[in-house]
Amino acid sequence: MGAYFQNIKDGFTTAFEGMSISFATMFVRKETVQYPEVDISSNATIAEKYKGSLMGMPENYRGILDVDLSLCTACQICQKACPIDCIVIDNIKCDKTKLSDGDGSPVLNRFTQKEALKTRTVTRFDINAAKCMYCGLCEKACPTSAIRHTNQFEMNRESQEELILRFVSDDVKATAEKRASEIEAEAAAKKAAKAKKAQEEKAKEKGAEE
Amino acid sequence: MDATLISIGLDPLTAKITSMVIISVIVLLAFVTIGGILTLVERRISGFMQSRLGPNRVGPQGALQWVADGVKLILKEDLIPEGADRKLFRIAPYFCLVGIFGTMVVFPWGKGVIVADLNVGLFYFISITALVVFGVLMAGWSSNNKWSLLGGMRAAAQIVSYEIPVGMSLLVPILISGTLSMGGIMASQGWLPWEWMVFKSPFAVLSFIIFFIGSLAEANRTPFDLPEAESELVSGYCTEYSGFRYAVFFLSEWANLFVLGGLTTSVFLGGGNLPGALEGFTILSVLVYLAKVAVVIFVVIWLRWTLPRFRIDQLMSLSWKYLLPGAFIAFLGQAAYMLLTQHTPIVQSIIAVLMFLVFVFVLIRFGLKVRVSINEQRIPVNSPASNVS
Amino acid sequence: MTSALKTEYLTINMGPQHPSTHGVIRFILKTDGEIIYECDPDVGYLHRGIEKIAESVTWQGFVPYTDRVDYVCAMNSNLSYCMAVEKLMGMETEIPKRAEYIRVIVSELNRISSHAVAIGAADMDMGAFTPFVHFLREREHINDLLEMACGARLTYNYICIGGVHNDLPPAFLSKTAEFLDHFEIVVEQINRLISYNQIFIKRFANVAVVPPKMAIDYNLVGPNLRGSGIKFDVRKDKPYSVYSDLDFDIPIGSGRAGTLGDCYDRYMVRVEEIRESIKIIRQCLKQIPAGETKAIVKSTIKPPKGHVYFRTETPRGDTGYFLYSDGKTSPTRLKIRTGSFTGMSIIPEIARGVFIADLVAIIGSLDIVAPELDR
Ligand code: SF4
Ligand code: SF4
Repeated sequence: MGAYFQNIKDGFTTAFEGMSISFATMFVRKETVQYPEVDISSNATIAEKYKGSLMGMPENYRGILDVDLSLCTACQICQKACPIDCIVIDNIKCDKTKLSDGDGSPVLNRFTQKEALKTRTVTRFDINAAKCMYCGLCEKACPTSAIRHTNQFEMNRESQEELILRFVSDDVKATAEKRASEIEAEAAAKKAAKAKKAQEEKAKEKGAEE
Repeated sequence: MDATLISIGLDPLTAKITSMVIISVIVLLAFVTIGGILTLVERRISGFMQSRLGPNRVGPQGALQWVADGVKLILKEDLIPEGADRKLFRIAPYFCLVGIFGTMVVFPWGKGVIVADLNVGLFYFISITALVVFGVLMAGWSSNNKWSLLGGMRAAAQIVSYEIPVGMSLLVPILISGTLSMGGIMASQGWLPWEWMVFKSPFAVLSFIIFFIGSLAEANRTPFDLPEAESELVSGYCTEYSGFRYAVFFLSEWANLFVLGGLTTSVFLGGGNLPGALEGFTILSVLVYLAKVAVVIFVVIWLRWTLPRFRIDQLMSLSWKYLLPGAFIAFLGQAAYMLLTQHTPIVQSIIAVLMFLVFVFVLIRFGLKVRVSINEQRIPVNSPASNVS
Repeated sequence: MTSALKTEYLTINMGPQHPSTHGVIRFILKTDGEIIYECDPDVGYLHRGIEKIAESVTWQGFVPYTDRVDYVCAMNSNLSYCMAVEKLMGMETEIPKRAEYIRVIVSELNRISSHAVAIGAADMDMGAFTPFVHFLREREHINDLLEMACGARLTYNYICIGGVHNDLPPAFLSKTAEFLDHFEIVVEQINRLISYNQIFIKRFANVAVVPPKMAIDYNLVGPNLRGSGIKFDVRKDKPYSVYSDLDFDIPIGSGRAGTLGDCYDRYMVRVEEIRESIKIIRQCLKQIPAGETKAIVKSTIKPPKGHVYFRTETPRGDTGYFLYSDGKTSPTRLKIRTGSFTGMSIIPEIARGVFIADLVAIIGSLDIVAPELDR
């Protein structure tokens, strides 16, 4: 019988307690972030319109990847570091200093504004954003910090095909290939010239011997 | 209204029918609007209780969300599962609808604002809401889904067992006011809080509590929402419903909330009674009534978003072991109380005022508790002060 | 006279998409009305072959996969795996002290958030939605903190072989300290809202009792084991990292609301573990030294031939990583032992003769996480 009344009493008091808490919550700040209106990209911007206590995105947020091709040495370390093979890199031997930014000036390093000095260049740098799990291993492996996470995270596309980020445009690829073939031709010409010279010298030597 | 219609040249019978149709349409529209708005209110309140905002996109502060939801539901395809009992499946929602809608007939919206003040109003009220159980049971059975079936069975068991304590506890107000008519019960109370039915005697309080818990169970509200227990039975009896039929269930559920609030208010909380000086201002009376209903509805919503759910056996034992004996005690106690104090109305009033003071005291205690909880939640987190290392 | 009425059991399919199975778990129930006569769990709906994947990725490349083994407590999974590899390579002593402390801080934070989800989900299954949202609100702060540390909210990949990927940002420690002060009070408030509620206690008390002997027989681990009153915690009994320097208790079930080892005991063990974790993090914040956060590790590691089994205490109990190395760049065999699986295996035993509603309570109290169950 004691337990019977104890049950009734506990039922009421604990419900009373719980109701006071849910009632109190109505008067405390709301934590909802009204996303498109509130700019969540950093702690400073989120504070403009949002009154709750959540944080904005940190600087090191691991969002969609971006590659600075002027820094990239086409070493393919990132490709090897990626556990799910979503980076595809093709490269060719090519002197980047001879590639131009379009207006004739040489390609500049985005961070140091110095000329990029490379002997190889990428002709294909694809990242499959649909496959990528944003783990950050590629970023950590890259020796030149060319591949980086941005704080972009919105990426709605119509098809999976469009989710493949292609960092090397066809134009650049064509220029690079042209340049590469030029280099190759130059090298071949040099080699031929060298061979010719050598032959001539040999011939001379022969002549001298005779 | 009849008179107006007759005066424009209709014969009495046509006038009668026309006026009935018009009133029905008005009440039905009111019913839909109330049900719709209550869904929105519930969602907003639950949002606030959970540190969220709730729907606030459609219209100013989300005011038109319920319209959008209704349109969405109506536009949806009306699916009938394979192997379902098609006739029953189709008709089931309307039983629920009629069960709730029918109560509007005896709904005392304020002093003198009542469609039909039947002399067995309360009785009619209890009987007509019993139709809901048929609807639920039919829906559960006809869906050809085992979860729905379990939901329907639970609903039947639950509503049938809770009707008894609810009916029993309503005997106390009937004893006090000596009438079954809704208008009469309302008229027997005053506008001051201690003139309300609930404070008329200690046993009235007991019967009020029992009535309130019991009608929560009848309206399938948490902690008694077993028939549609989301985490157990997917969605209970309305699992297989979609489109318009689902909207009807949905609507009657929320309208049921309003009916619950209305009944509680008019029987226990003084209805739309006004101070003597303001007698005759019908609009004011309706407003007072609606305000009280709003408070009751708020409490019901609040309970729903606070308490967990009972288990079916606990639900039954609550009804049969706790509420029913309680209702008996309230009934017999009230009879004895009236016998003892019938010649000393002053004692009755003193007890009523005392009880009201106790209630105020409880409210203050509650307020203090709320303040503590608010302060606890206000403890800063991620404050600018913590930005420095 | 025998009854002419023949009754048969009702076979109900619960899941894979059922609101209370959180993820994709399936039970085939044979019930007598609402009472379960037989419950047959069907696992494997979330099987992703993570153990097999390990054989084709590099040792470091597998770390992000451990996030996915148990996404509710990814840090702890990271930690288990990385420490196992470190042990295999014999470099446990080379890990900088600061890195060890950071690891403990983040994994204890993650333990809190995991328990918050577990408790909240159990509440939600009992029909109380508000406490669940309150817990998620608090968990959001933990997510923020961890995001600050590593840039991701759920799949962290923060702990790496040899330490942690990067040092904590400067404000992290002060923000964590502030959060703990806030959370300690708020979690108690949420407990008042739900855990001490009479209806809730009645729902959980005396349901699905697991006596100590049965818990051991079924190889339960973590809070489920401790809920049955057995004081075993890998952090205390086989200390790893810096746990031996820290002072904390191991809460065990004591039949608070009825029988020892019932759902409520398991539930309350988690609640108390949150408090212990707060204690641990506070000590770490005080003791954390300055210095390096990562030992020098080659970019492609080839651990020596051999095998290792390493156990850590994750929120779902004793999680073990078995690694077999042939001296190659990827594991030859990797096996993960998780707590949810044994938790699942005990369900047919304890879910006999209970209500369907109790089965929901059982799943909630055992804290079964589908991805960890199936890997
Ligand atoms: S973030 Fe991870 S998955 Fe994505 S490309 Fe880099 S290494 Fe690969
Ligand atoms: S690791 Fe860095 S430099 Fe090397 S290919 Fe990748 S992006 Fe380019």
